[in-house]
Amino acid sequence: MSHAKEAELFNNDEAKVNWHDQALWFVRNKRDKAAHTVKGWEELRNLASAIKANVLSNLDEYLVEFEENAQKNGIHIHWATDAEEHNKIVHNILLKNNAKKVVKSKSMLTEECHLNPYLEVNGIEVIDTDLGERIVQLAKEPPSHIVLPAIHKTKEEVDVLFQKHLGTIPSEGNPQYLTSEARKHLRNKFLKADAAITGVNFAVAETGGIVVCTNEGNADMGVHLAKIHIASMGIEKIIPKEKHLGIFLRLLARSATGQPITTYSSHFNKPSEGKEMHIIIVDNGRTEQLGREHFRSSLNCIRCGACMNTCPIYRRSGGHSYKATIPGPIGSILSPGTDLKKHSSLPFASTLCGSCSDVCPVKINIHEQLYQWRQIITKDVKQPIVKKTVLKMTGRVLGNSKLYGFFGKSARFMLKHLPKSVINSQTNTWGKARDLPKVENDNFEDWYKKRKS
Amino acid sequence: MSRESILSAIKKNKPEQVSLPEIDLGIFHEDVDLVETFSKNLESVGGRIVSFNRIEDLDAEIKKRYPNAKHIVSCSSESNLATMSISNETEPHSLECIDLVIIDAQVGVSENGAVWISDNDFIVRVLPFITNDLVLILSKKDICLHMHEAYNIISKRYRTFGLFLSGPSKTADIEQCLVIGAQGAVSLTVFLI
Repeated sequence: MSHAKEAELFNNDEAKVNWHDQALWFVRNKRDKAAHTVKGWEELRNLASAIKANVLSNLDEYLVEFEENAQKNGIHIHWATDAEEHNKIVHNILLKNNAKKVVKSKSMLTEECHLNPYLEVNGIEVIDTDLGERIVQLAKEPPSHIVLPAIHKTKEEVDVLFQKHLGTIPSEGNPQYLTSEARKHLRNKFLKADAAITGVNFAVAETGGIVVCTNEGNADMGVHLAKIHIASMGIEKIIPKEKHLGIFLRLLARSATGQPITTYSSHFNKPSEGKEMHIIIVDNGRTEQLGREHFRSSLNCIRCGACMNTCPIYRRSGGHSYKATIPGPIGSILSPGTDLKKHSSLPFASTLCGSCSDVCPVKINIHEQLYQWRQIITKDVKQPIVKKTVLKMTGRVLGNSKLYGFFGKSARFMLKHLPKSVINSQTNTWGKARDLPKVENDNFEDWYKKRKS
Repeated sequence: MSRESILSAIKKNKPEQVSLPEIDLGIFHEDVDLVETFSKNLESVGGRIVSFNRIEDLDAEIKKRYPNAKHIVSCSSESNLATMSISNETEPHSLECIDLVIIDAQVGVSENGAVWISDNDFIVRVLPFITNDLVLILSKKDICLHMHEAYNIISKRYRTFGLFLSGPSKTADIEQCLVIGAQGAVSLTVFLI
């Protein structure tokens, strides 16, 4: 199903859409407020963008440097070309250590690799420990936002879900109560876990260490209790030097939620005595994206979600409508790179207003890349016949001033005199939820000519 | 095998060399009251600040705030409130019932209310997370302006595990309602001396 069709489903519940829209806009406003208090914010963005450009141009060297330094500290490094290899590596580590129970903190990469179902089929219990992720896991749904995974759920829905799975008492969706019950539930899981899986926010080539950011403390609770820590990272998570973290950590949380920094920014450099730490470096289509000149800077993304919060389409269509691991504007650049046909409608899920590019902390030209994908998709993927014909006709009309004048006049005449039922008929998708503008007597050209004489 | 194929794919596909930018920290300099800004920012993320002048008063000040804490671990030489001791042999799971942990912090960051602590300061890594309440002791003179300065200060450390900690654990995953006390400590108080 195309994004537009999926969005239509989301829009069946208007009140919920309005809430979703405003909740995310609120987060966007918090981002603005946080950004405006930082002296040199734009310079931070420039530096982040420049550092990431340097990373892409030296990625192989930085990865090797990272590997060497990590190994010196007793960290095991693995490489996976695709999702399947990644999952197998994780499974093998668990098998070797006879680990049956796993706690996992937020990691969009393991989501991308569909790690959970893979491990579950192999008899391993995987518990997502970020509250939002636990909610969607219990609901058997994917996250709908990369920072706010359960933003599409109402508190009443969470209440019902927790009653069923955690045995809570009905509370009309009291967030305080539900969170404290989840805390107890997850504590129990942390204490029993054999292994902890985390994502990686930043991997520092210079030190061979990784940084994991959370607000809940769930990554640390998992890692420091379990015997084995497995961290999965895409090849693009590398930054050259530790001091560069100063730049990225100043940008990340402010862009994501408007916080000055995440509650926990944990720096893992060495496993503790008697424990194992593994890092899996994953490609899964990233080197291919690196080779696409127009799209490679999408690999600079630090997964803050700011482009989603600000996007007028995302806010009104919901993350699930994208049918992709990473939804929203940045996802609409990344996903077509992995499967052009499946995700061909995503670059069109944009007004190209550019707000995403304006808020991006690493200055990815998101809206321009969406436009670029459209150029490729309209050539490579079969387009609906109506769209094709209409655009062809429009092209002809816009390219011929006489035709343009004629059609303009007739359109104005029809808009003025035809009944609404005809104007807003089936073929006019604009008219589904809105009216067309009122017609004034003159068009611009007539008015201009009159004014001159 | 995969290592080589990934590295060679990168070599083939990477763009032309782009050099690292020069970072001019002067751009980020501000003349602010470091203690005041730090305190304001920490409070805005749900942390508490207690300012005091005599180190001898520390335990009394802590007791006043946490009168009901029974199981207390202190990693600070300034506090004698510990009811149990830990070492690097301590099994992390045994710390499940800890009410209060007291740790000496090394660096405070005024721009975001974050505090740097490392496992040198708290020995068992799970300690600042698994405890119900967390107390950090920070010297006012150890507060720096921003993250760039903070990374400069910690750059010479022996790297094992450490973190910037800003406030108590929190979540807003249920309808964006902020709830303090997610999976880590439910409260954080920084005692400033």
